[in-house]
Amino acid sequence: MKKWLMHDSWRHIIAVGVCLFSLFPLYLVVISSFASSGSLQLTSFVPHEISFKNYHLLFNNPAIPYLTWVKNSLIIAGSVSVLSVMIGSASAFAFSRLAFKGRKTGIQLLLLVQMFPAILAISAVYVIMERVGGFAPAIGLGTKPGLLLVYLGGAMGVNIWLLKGFVDSIPAELDEAAKIDGASEVQTYWLIFVPLAAPVLAVVSLLSFIGTFNEFILARLFLVDMNNRTVAVGLQQFIGGQYSQNWGPFAAGSILASIPIVIIFLSLQKYIVSGLTAGSVKG
Amino acid sequence: MTFMLRGKFALLLKVVIVSLVSAILLMLTQSAFAQQEYVISGFLALTVLAIALTYLTKISIPLKFFIPGILLLIAFVIGPILYTVTMSGFNYKTGNIISKQEAIVQIKARAIQAAPSGESFDIKLGKLNGQPAILVSDIANLKYFVSTADSRIPVDARDVTLDPNGVAITAPNFTALTDTQMGNADTSYSNIHFKYLDKTFIALEGFDAGVVSEQALEYLPAQDEFKSLIDGAVYKDNGRGNYAQPDNKAAILEPGWRAPIWFENYTKIISDPRVRGPLVRVFIWTVVFASLTVLTTFALGLLLALALNKPIHGRRIYRSILVLPYAMPSVMSILIWGGMFNTEFGAINTLLGTHIAWFSDPNFARVAVILVNLWLGFPYFYLISSGSLQAIPSELLEAAAIDGANPRQIFRKITLPLLLQILSPLLIASFAFNFNNFNLIYLLTGGGPRNELDGQIAGATDILISYTYKIAFGAGTQDLGLASAISLIIFVLVASISLYGLRKSKVLDTFA
Repeated sequence: MKKWLMHDSWRHIIAVGVCLFSLFPLYLVVISSFASSGSLQLTSFVPHEISFKNYHLLFNNPAIPYLTWVKNSLIIAGSVSVLSVMIGSASAFAFSRLAFKGRKTGIQLLLLVQMFPAILAISAVYVIMERVGGFAPAIGLGTKPGLLLVYLGGAMGVNIWLLKGFVDSIPAELDEAAKIDGASEVQTYWLIFVPLAAPVLAVVSLLSFIGTFNEFILARLFLVDMNNRTVAVGLQQFIGGQYSQNWGPFAAGSILASIPIVIIFLSLQKYIVSGLTAGSVKG
Repeated sequence: MTFMLRGKFALLLKVVIVSLVSAILLMLTQSAFAQQEYVISGFLALTVLAIALTYLTKISIPLKFFIPGILLLIAFVIGPILYTVTMSGFNYKTGNIISKQEAIVQIKARAIQAAPSGESFDIKLGKLNGQPAILVSDIANLKYFVSTADSRIPVDARDVTLDPNGVAITAPNFTALTDTQMGNADTSYSNIHFKYLDKTFIALEGFDAGVVSEQALEYLPAQDEFKSLIDGAVYKDNGRGNYAQPDNKAAILEPGWRAPIWFENYTKIISDPRVRGPLVRVFIWTVVFASLTVLTTFALGLLLALALNKPIHGRRIYRSILVLPYAMPSVMSILIWGGMFNTEFGAINTLLGTHIAWFSDPNFARVAVILVNLWLGFPYFYLISSGSLQAIPSELLEAAAIDGANPRQIFRKITLPLLLQILSPLLIASFAFNFNNFNLIYLLTGGGPRNELDGQIAGATDILISYTYKIAFGAGTQDLGLASAISLIIFVLVASISLYGLRKSKVLDTFA
């Protein structure tokens, strides 16, 4: 045996052990998605067959509007990620760069509000949106724009905090120079700050995308109609209904929906870690 | 790009956008007002005013940046929080959901009972001079009459046509409803009291029959009380959202309405053992769950970080695999784990060669919850621990080694204390997050095994937030008032933990 392997063997043993722990559920889902039995059973570690039945089912069964779910998720998460960062970065810029009365109180209030367990305000949000639906059906309960509005409101606290941390780390010399040259605050924001912060804003909006893609409870409460559901809600309802039967398509659907998220995550790893150390935890 | 921010074009653009947004919001304000949603309408009107003032005048520059965010925050976060605070002062629960006016209407509607005479007739639904009316056939006595809400008109037997069963189907001035009209007439007709005698009326029982009924309760608006027309009992507003007999508190009329009970939901949490008992047990498990999660995820993450703190072969591959659980959408991972713990066909039992009913036994369910959360959470601590390990100055470790400390001593006396100092705010944040980790519990065990703690709602793996969710939206009695009170207590707890963590995080600043 080579010397390095002897010396570092304990490191490899630990790493391999935990890697197996990490991979086990994922491996199981992958082999289930290619099995024709439709259950999440571990019959053997080596798959007997490779069947595309489950994938076929996802795209061709009218009772499973999988593509519509994916589309819904992309529309909702996409809009939230873009809009919330646009709105949030303006507020973060003001908190970080502008001097005004009540700035500190504002930040503290924002932090406090953000700590309220959002799930418990759900009944109130539900009642409000139900009433909004009474006079404006297009943005009320059960509609994608309605859910989008609720998500935007909910994302504000976290995003402003996260963005403020990033904005603080961008040197202020440039916008001070712009100010001396006679630029107004709004000009400084659009012409100096936004181009400078573009990579950071992109990272935060991708994080926001992942977060919204993962959201479950509100989406489930709001989007009752089969064709309005997001992927997370659609797939959950699907195994909730007829328990063991639908694991195959569920596994296939989860894998397809997870791949883009995993890719985004892995490519952003560096930023995500620094964002996390700024004090937030992914759900 | 600059021309969009400066000069006439910019001004024009701004005015157009502000007018467009204001116009849409004003339309919404108007339709909200028309639907009598005065609070929402008022909020929308203020929104329009705020937007116009901010963007068309120079009242405040920071506000130009804040307005969109603030408005969204008020509408969908602060508003609902204030609503929750208000609800915690009400007895807002199943049986007391509606307003007092609605409750009075419903009590009256429910207080209808068959008259002692026990008569019932065959009827035909129709209209008399455009008013809803019924054609009643007293087959036994061969008598017929048309009845509306305020009059009863006898019809001579010679003027009616009868169907084979002897039920009158036509009468002068009376037009029977067609089948399609019948389909839509259900609720409107069943709420009408069709005139019979002085104190009695005919209430519909389906579309073909009517029962002679009487009103059992009478509402006296002047005294704000209900009086029984049968035994003369009086029901007064008991100040707690119900009409009740003054000398018999248990004799109440259903439904009640939501009434302010001020701090009773809070005092109930402390004084009522049926509420306090399960809540305390759920609280203890919540703390145990959050602590164990932080402890296990941190321990495993740190172990990995230490093991991979040296550029060994395959480190990059290990790293990519190790963050996979964290990169997966958590909703899906949790559901997959739920399937793996299934007793009959679950992979865990197959792997272990056991036949454990994981989610039916309290202790196994708790182990499962912690294990799944370990899987979900350790990559986070692996990532941040390995980052922090690099931040520890290597001079410290070298100095210790020169002084003759062995690796274990170095780890225990230098690395670990320093790491804990750097990471303590994140450990606290993770505790606060898991304290409210609703998705995990809700999707994995649903809080079950069911009813384990109080025989009603609280399950063995329920944490405070999932327990509160069940109180508010569960299958049995829904008590939104109590749930709101508990959520405010959770809020205070989590806010204190987080603020403590935040204050600690200054340690991080001084270290860096």
